[in-house]
Amino acid sequence: MRYCSAMKPVALAAACVAAAAIGLAAQSSARASSGITAVDGIKVGHYTLAERPTGCTVVVVDGDAVGGVSQRGGAPGTRETDLLNPLNMVDKVNAIVLAGGSAFGLEAATGTVRWLEERNIGWQAGPSRVPIVPAAILFDLGVGGNPKIRPTADCGYKAADAATTGAVPEGSVGAGAGATVGKFAGAGRSTKSGIGTASIALPSGLVVGAVVAVNAVGDIIDPATGKVVAGVRNPDGTFADARKLLRAGGSAQSRAGENTTIGVVATNARLSKALAARMALMADDGYARAIAPSHTNADGDTIFSLATGRWSGNADITVIGALAAEAVADAIVRAATQATSVAGIPAARDLRK
Amino acid sequence: MAIRNLELGIWNRRFHIPNPAFLIALALSASCAPAGAANSTLTAIDGIRVGHDTLAERPTGCTVVLFDGAALAAGVSQRGSAPGTRDADQLQPTSAVDRVNAIVLSGGSAFGLDTANGVMRWVDEHATDSRRPPSGGPGVPRGVDVPIVASAVLIDLWVGGKPSIRPDADCGYRAAGAATTAPVQEGSVGAGAGATVGKILGRERAMKGGLGSAAITLPNGLRVAAIVAVNPLGDVIDPSNGTVVAGARNDNGSLADVRKLLRSGAALQRTSADDNTTIAVVATNARLTKADASRVATMADDGIARTIAPAHTTADGDTVFAVATGGWSGTTDVTTVGALAADVLADAIVRAVRSATSVAGIPAVRDLKR
Repeated sequence: MRYCSAMKPVALAAACVAAAAIGLAAQSSARASSGITAVDGIKVGHYTLAERPTGCTVVVVDGDAVGGVSQRGGAPGTRETDLLNPLNMVDKVNAIVLAGGSAFGLEAATGTVRWLEERNIGWQAGPSRVPIVPAAILFDLGVGGNPKIRPTADCGYKAADAATTGAVPEGSVGAGAGATVGKFAGAGRSTKSGIGTASIALPSGLVVGAVVAVNAVGDIIDPATGKVVAGVRNPDGTFADARKLLRAGGSAQSRAGENTTIGVVATNARLSKALAARMALMADDGYARAIAPSHTNADGDTIFSLATGRWSGNADITVIGALAAEAVADAIVRAATQATSVAGIPAARDLRK
Repeated sequence: MAIRNLELGIWNRRFHIPNPAFLIALALSASCAPAGAANSTLTAIDGIRVGHDTLAERPTGCTVVLFDGAALAAGVSQRGSAPGTRDADQLQPTSAVDRVNAIVLSGGSAFGLDTANGVMRWVDEHATDSRRPPSGGPGVPRGVDVPIVASAVLIDLWVGGKPSIRPDADCGYRAAGAATTAPVQEGSVGAGAGATVGKILGRERAMKGGLGSAAITLPNGLRVAAIVAVNPLGDVIDPSNGTVVAGARNDNGSLADVRKLLRSGAALQRTSADDNTTIAVVATNARLTKADASRVATMADDGIARTIAPAHTTADGDTVFAVATGGWSGTTDVTTVGALAADVLADAIVRAVRSATSVAGIPAVRDLKR
């Protein structure tokens, strides 16, 4: 199954059926995940609020991992990203929190810190162990209900507690519960997006995986074909293509801060902190390829990297970074294709019906 | 917009020949259209001149972009892991100087940074009231005009001759002196003379890169344009359909597609910094702050991500400069300018490899298709 994960979503079903037909799928792998949890040492948990479509997603490291970040959007909401600068000392990360709720959602990390502290996990600082929990948020306050309802510390605690190495639920859950895309021509023509995950496993044993909550002002593009997967809608339910609107002289209708794509890439390779930063930087190219436009002043696009070091093989950082970009692009396309309609905002899968 | 459509129609995609309509339009534009009307390159922006100098001794050279006028906010995005740059720190929004007189793109690896010395000399000699270098800065006495010349290099030392032949200050001086507002000559010239792409299976599987330029003009008068010297480790992808335009070749000469190789775990031959780097300038006629110019550079860099796979590697020194001339008085927003900058840089990258010609036994796209 895990080789199926390296394929494009469109090809996924057909390829997996074909694999089953010739008996390949009969091999019972202990690791059935086709997402970021295929990376040894990575667990993921979601918590989705019942009151409004929003929530948080926590990537919990079993022990710790070397981390990095690429922060390129113009309207970010983040926590502990300065710590991830390779010039700074701490080189271990215990968990990463992705949350809805705009800057209010940064509170979710407080709950994850509490969950880790209760388990005595963290950076040894004198008598204390301090959990290292970077976080980034996206803006979903305008979606489906009272904007005062947003992820709190309780959300971060519950998501950490729910984290498993199993297959990661995708679509309109966790940090992707209230995520939308295609807001270039205003929120009224947007399409529902969500959270997606993907991984690539090489025969050598190197694994690279990604999980991304996709809430971009831009459209989602399948880089394999150049086609719009989800984005600005025309009245007839087809996609207008933000790239064409832009070149025709349309200007962005979305306001700063009302968007943002946030994610985590992880590998089982052993990396220095500087190389983890390079991995995050290259992974960010997955945003550029699958979102148009991306890294705008109206997006707070941020991506974290984790290297668990559980695989003892050697891989070039250029290979790891290139695969990270591919996995991120795959995860973004899946976020758009796996989402379900929420609060009257149609998802791509419903538009196709 | 007619100019834009014309440009998109240069190549007949199905038959890989120049589009007959384009050739007719080209002939018309050459014979009767006013000069500049058909300019779909960086010099379509008022106040920008471009000059190349290509060395005769070895395929290498430099390309100079000269800026006239005063309102010249500039920024830079430096994301490749093996850069060679000069005066890039000055373009950070927290640095003081907020204008730039020229940007030099050069071959020759770090040696090529020498070209900026020649451009400084040329700007100093040709300073006029309309092209007055910004004065001083902290520690510089008032009245001393210091030309602000930012620069980035690519490495082409292994291509077609003695590596000790590389662009020097004279190359930069000549390129500045040659700068005009005419449409930018593209292909295996200037900083793109020795550029190559698709080196992940080794140099012998590479294809010729080059220099490309493109421009987008909106109905409201906003213009965004790019010039780029394309010399990456990775393949060049057409983002409109996901296909490889130029890159690493198989034994039979077909394109291998590095994205598939990477996902299969195939052994890669070269991921060292000996051979690579893509360097670019994007410009707009909008009026931007220095911080906005940095945002435009950041967003423009997405054009590299979309057309080069892999991009921003440890074996590339990818660097993008952004400049706003302020010659257009309309209003826009930085997201629009940045998004167009990414698109136009992607266009310029694809044009660079499509217009390149074979050099030193390294085949170009146009030659393979014959």
